[in-house]
Amino acid sequence: MTHPFLEIRGIRKEYAMIPAVRDVSLNIRKGEFMTFLGPSGSGKSTTLFILAGFQDPTAGDILLEGKSLLSTPSQHRNIGMVFQRYTLFPHLTVAENIAFPLKVRRWPKARIEAKVAEMLRLVRLEGFETRKPATMSGGQQQRVALARALAYDPPVLLMDEPLSALDKRLREEIQVEIRRIHQQTGVTILYVTHDQEEALRMSDRIAVFSKGVIDQVGTGEELYANPATRFVAGFIGDSDFIDCELRGAAGGKAKVALKDGLEIGGIPLHGEGKPGARVALMLRPERTRIDPAGASGGAIPAVVTDITFLGSNVHVATETETGAPVSVRLPFGHPSISALARGQKVGLGFDPAEAHVFS
Amino acid sequence: MALLTLSRSSVGLPGRNLLLTLPALLLVVFFFLLPVAILLSRSVTEPTLGLHNYVELLGSPTYLKIFYNTFLVSSLVTIISLLIGFPVAWALAIMPRGLSSVVFAILLLSMWTNLLARTYAWMVLLQRTGVINKTLMGLGIIDQPLQLVNNLVGVTIGMTYIMVPFIVIPLHGVIRKIDPAILQAAALCGASRWQALRMVLIPLARPGIFSGALMVFVMSLGYFVTPALLGGTANMMLAELIAQFVQSLLNWGMGGAAALVLLSVTMALYILQVRLFGAKG
Repeated sequence: MTHPFLEIRGIRKEYAMIPAVRDVSLNIRKGEFMTFLGPSGSGKSTTLFILAGFQDPTAGDILLEGKSLLSTPSQHRNIGMVFQRYTLFPHLTVAENIAFPLKVRRWPKARIEAKVAEMLRLVRLEGFETRKPATMSGGQQQRVALARALAYDPPVLLMDEPLSALDKRLREEIQVEIRRIHQQTGVTILYVTHDQEEALRMSDRIAVFSKGVIDQVGTGEELYANPATRFVAGFIGDSDFIDCELRGAAGGKAKVALKDGLEIGGIPLHGEGKPGARVALMLRPERTRIDPAGASGGAIPAVVTDITFLGSNVHVATETETGAPVSVRLPFGHPSISALARGQKVGLGFDPAEAHVFS
Repeated sequence: MALLTLSRSSVGLPGRNLLLTLPALLLVVFFFLLPVAILLSRSVTEPTLGLHNYVELLGSPTYLKIFYNTFLVSSLVTIISLLIGFPVAWALAIMPRGLSSVVFAILLLSMWTNLLARTYAWMVLLQRTGVINKTLMGLGIIDQPLQLVNNLVGVTIGMTYIMVPFIVIPLHGVIRKIDPAILQAAALCGASRWQALRMVLIPLARPGIFSGALMVFVMSLGYFVTPALLGGTANMMLAELIAQFVQSLLNWGMGGAAALVLLSVTMALYILQVRLFGAKG
């Protein structure tokens, strides 16, 4: 029987009886870039800290190639980690920082020197050997931290929101670097972030954390096209929710009625629901159509409340007649844009197969 | 020009206001600078002009023994205070806030308790029939009471007790600023607790270690009350010698010379620290 490379099995962690992580199970493949995505307090960092050995779970197990890690203290887990805060040793130079894990492993001097040079090449910081961390930018410090964490060829690299202290441009630059380094080294990465764009940009798969459990695991496309819960739908991509009533469900498809009685069928249903139950209809702004001529033939009647130019696209905010805000995103130059004005009555349409109903 | 005037009048100190600091300056000159100058001059003029006081002080085995005692006790007190103070400072930095304020209050309370009272308390504890000897004998660890007072052992114990807070306070200030994540990073890098302590924590705490150690060492060099009460007449320390020269022998020349030797050692150590760690250290 083959084991999953890294298995998180039923992890639970309580602080003073209050669970931070309720029940998290996840299998991670060798070489995978797995992101834990979720808001603060969702348990993603706690799960990472348990993997690092800084905290013990209340229940559950962690297995690396079939062997439990729980009884191994942090310093013997051979796991790499880049932290949210800058954790380079301030009294050591860049080269000494990268050499630190090798020195404590008592590598011979020549081998350490060669490895430090190799790591500096990997993170593209050749020439920075003798610099002290305090004289470097935040982005450079995190790249050194990455080099230090990878120097001893750990099977798993943990990254706890390593870019959250950097500004947007630098963040995107280093995201590309991390992707490159991931491909170059083939190391398995567990990456924690609360930034959905960062998660989508970098990950092979994303585990969406909410209130101490994983709501859904999948590729970015899967999560976007097929969110399992309302939370995932709201967290990955932009979305609007319209309250409505479930009229019927068959074969995973729902038929719903808006407050004004308009019925729409054939929408994928997530979760259980009896006819008459209150449910939420989810629409994606970029998939919602807008008809400047007004509502006709089953379209949802709405009024334009605002139009915002955002560069590559135009954001049209509307409000349905039943009072639900729904936004529509149109690409720049779309013919409808010139025909829209604030206060105008419009019709909103969508493909039922692309929408979702959450109970 | 207008800008320059503005910045001068609003930010810079106009020259004549320096006059207002004159009383304070005079105070410093009359009560701090002048006495040292007088002491220096008396050490080279009494009873006759020349360096003979210094020659006698540094040439006589009796006096050299006193210097040796002073440096030995001061070094021991500094080292033992560091060994006790470092773990305490570290514990204070990582323990919950409420508990650390309690421990801090205990430390401060002991510092604020009268020095004589604390020294006499040690006399009681350390004497032949004191609690420590009685306990050790009761446990069968020793047969004869240990000689713990009227010698340098007693002085070292009593002074270490007094000095520990002076190590803990500066050290705690430095250790508190060390991000615990740095030590977590060290652990994940594979460092054992001992390696993390030796390669990360102690180097990062070094400025606090040195400033605390320097303060304790310098204070110990000139300490009078504890050596006078807990030490024996056979094992005098420098401050006692100075007191004896001035009080009993009325020999201001020798007293001044001894005081200036002490001052030069202190200044040399201070300069060494500034060289190593900058003025803030």
